[in-house]
Amino acid sequence: MTELLDDMELALTDLMQSGFSTGGAAAVQRLQTLALNCEDSGLHTGSALLSEIQQALAARSHREEKHDLPLAAAVCRTVRYIQLCREKLQEEQIAKRWQSIKLEEEF
Amino acid sequence: MYLPEELSAALLAADENYLVGLSNKGTVNRAKKDLAALTGPESMPNGAGVTVKLDGAECVITAPLGQSRCSCPSGSICRHRITAILWLKRQLDAAPASAPPSKPEFQELRAYPPEKLAKQLGLKRLSAALFRHQSGGGPEIAETSVVTVDMPWLPASVRLLEPLEHSSCTCHSKTFCAHKAEALLYWQLNEGIADPALLQAAQSAGAALDLEPVRGVCQAVQQSLTAQLAAGLSRMPPGVCETVERMAALCHTARLPELERALRALHGEYAAYFARSATYRDAALLQRISDAFRLAAALEASDEETAPALAGSFRDDYLPVGNLQLYLLGMRDFSGRSGYAGTIYYFWERDAHRFYTFTHVRPTFYEAESRRRPAAIPWGLPCPLHQAWNVSLDLTGAKATYAGNLSASDRCQATLLGHSNPGRVYPGEQVYTDFGLLFAQRSLPNTPERERLAVVRPRRCQPQPYDTVQQRFTLRLLDGEDRDLWLEVRYKKEEAKVVGLLEQLADKLSRDPRLAPVFFGVVFRESDRLKLYPIEFFTEWGEDT
Repeated sequence: MTELLDDMELALTDLMQSGFSTGGAAAVQRLQTLALNCEDSGLHTGSALLSEIQQALAARSHREEKHDLPLAAAVCRTVRYIQLCREKLQEEQIAKRWQSIKLEEEF
Repeated sequence: MYLPEELSAALLAADENYLVGLSNKGTVNRAKKDLAALTGPESMPNGAGVTVKLDGAECVITAPLGQSRCSCPSGSICRHRITAILWLKRQLDAAPASAPPSKPEFQELRAYPPEKLAKQLGLKRLSAALFRHQSGGGPEIAETSVVTVDMPWLPASVRLLEPLEHSSCTCHSKTFCAHKAEALLYWQLNEGIADPALLQAAQSAGAALDLEPVRGVCQAVQQSLTAQLAAGLSRMPPGVCETVERMAALCHTARLPELERALRALHGEYAAYFARSATYRDAALLQRISDAFRLAAALEASDEETAPALAGSFRDDYLPVGNLQLYLLGMRDFSGRSGYAGTIYYFWERDAHRFYTFTHVRPTFYEAESRRRPAAIPWGLPCPLHQAWNVSLDLTGAKATYAGNLSASDRCQATLLGHSNPGRVYPGEQVYTDFGLLFAQRSLPNTPERERLAVVRPRRCQPQPYDTVQQRFTLRLLDGEDRDLWLEVRYKKEEAKVVGLLEQLADKLSRDPRLAPVFFGVVFRESDRLKLYPIEFFTEWGEDT
């Protein structure tokens, strides 16, 4: 899960580096794959958000007039989603860690 | 002698208190003397008033009495007018048909809108007034023909009379000053005319944002951030820093301090990127952009009720919190990158069972490194605050922000009560021995430090080797269920003493594992560990002694 969240974050930071205009086409395929991985891992909201960005980027290249505000909003929402996922994951990791210590002690 | 009916009524209602309120006590006393020496002044009717010639001056006495005129150059109610009024009153008293004066009803004082007073006073002064009224520490109010309000904490004494514009104040202001407004508010609160709850609501409404410009600014912020994301960081000119600064300034003008802070933080990330700083991270920049964008979007979609909370406040006001029973549990030094350094003192409030802090901060950017910083001696204490460690103190007239940071105001007075062990003051049920509970209650991410403060008593402590690569001291604390909490301090110049003391404790723990220290610090989460930044530790907690 951590790797998937890292990959999502990396995809978004790469998109920020190159910009929607330049990096959009390259990001479409990557985001599509990540959306599928999210769906497989049970991150349905993450998958929906990534699909939204991917579709907006794909449609953007076919439009003369760019309306990037919804796309930027989706990117920002996804960043927040990743942050919340990390917090939840961290909570689970700490609980899991304590559980494993207890199990070790018992054995 | 003929007197117009309105003037007669005004003269009958005006006793000495009223005349003192109209002018002052000295003028009234002088007028009384003048009246005693007066021999037959000339008087004649003059429209709705009476002209009285005395002592070389010509006074036109009318109702209301405060609007009487005199030929002398005095700007305020002079002794001539008071003498003339007293003389006319004497003539009226001599007349057989004069009715006894009735108690004034202060219609004008009652009719003055309390919301207008609240607006004039502002949130800080209004909150203080409401707190004083509710706690019974309000002013002394005496009602005669005038309402006299003594407010010794200002200090000011106000005489409210009708018409209201003739009220007087010890500040000698001829306008309706803040003292007069406050005095009238106290009187209205006492009379039950003003409702404290409604006043607070009116104040909040007064502070409401004008949503039209707010939406404009928020749209501009979103569009600018969208343009930055569309262009890409690799093509971004360094001028983007100025663009972000300008947006932050726009937010300041539109009274959106939270969005201003978000944009200034974004500016800091951009500056780090263009300066090729080693601390710069792409993820951090994207996070800042996301934070600012989402806040701008939320503000744009907000209504009058939700907008103020999202907008935030420029600075926290210190509001009266009454008398506090404090106990200095710990303190820590800090040095910020912003050029400020100082000490944060952590107090436990013995009555309300909550933490308060006091921050003694000094700018360091123009001070030499070696310069000794003066110690904090607030609230008329007889010693520096750090010497009051583990000492109980009563603070009267305390002021604090909503978050719990105490004011250093000299109006708060502290009384030292003596040293006692923390275990005798800090309630045992609030000492965390279960780290599962500590994790659930005190380690929530993105919460202020004050909500993550905790006192922890571990079952066991396991000293760890000092990390020479990361320059980090670590101590593993375990509870009864073997859940661990990692006490960590990274070595810094300000932390040198802390690390030294913790190393001594680790030595003691190695020699005597039965030692059961209690730790007070800030709880936080990092990777898969629950961690504690220590503020103090106690080898003698002392609840049993």
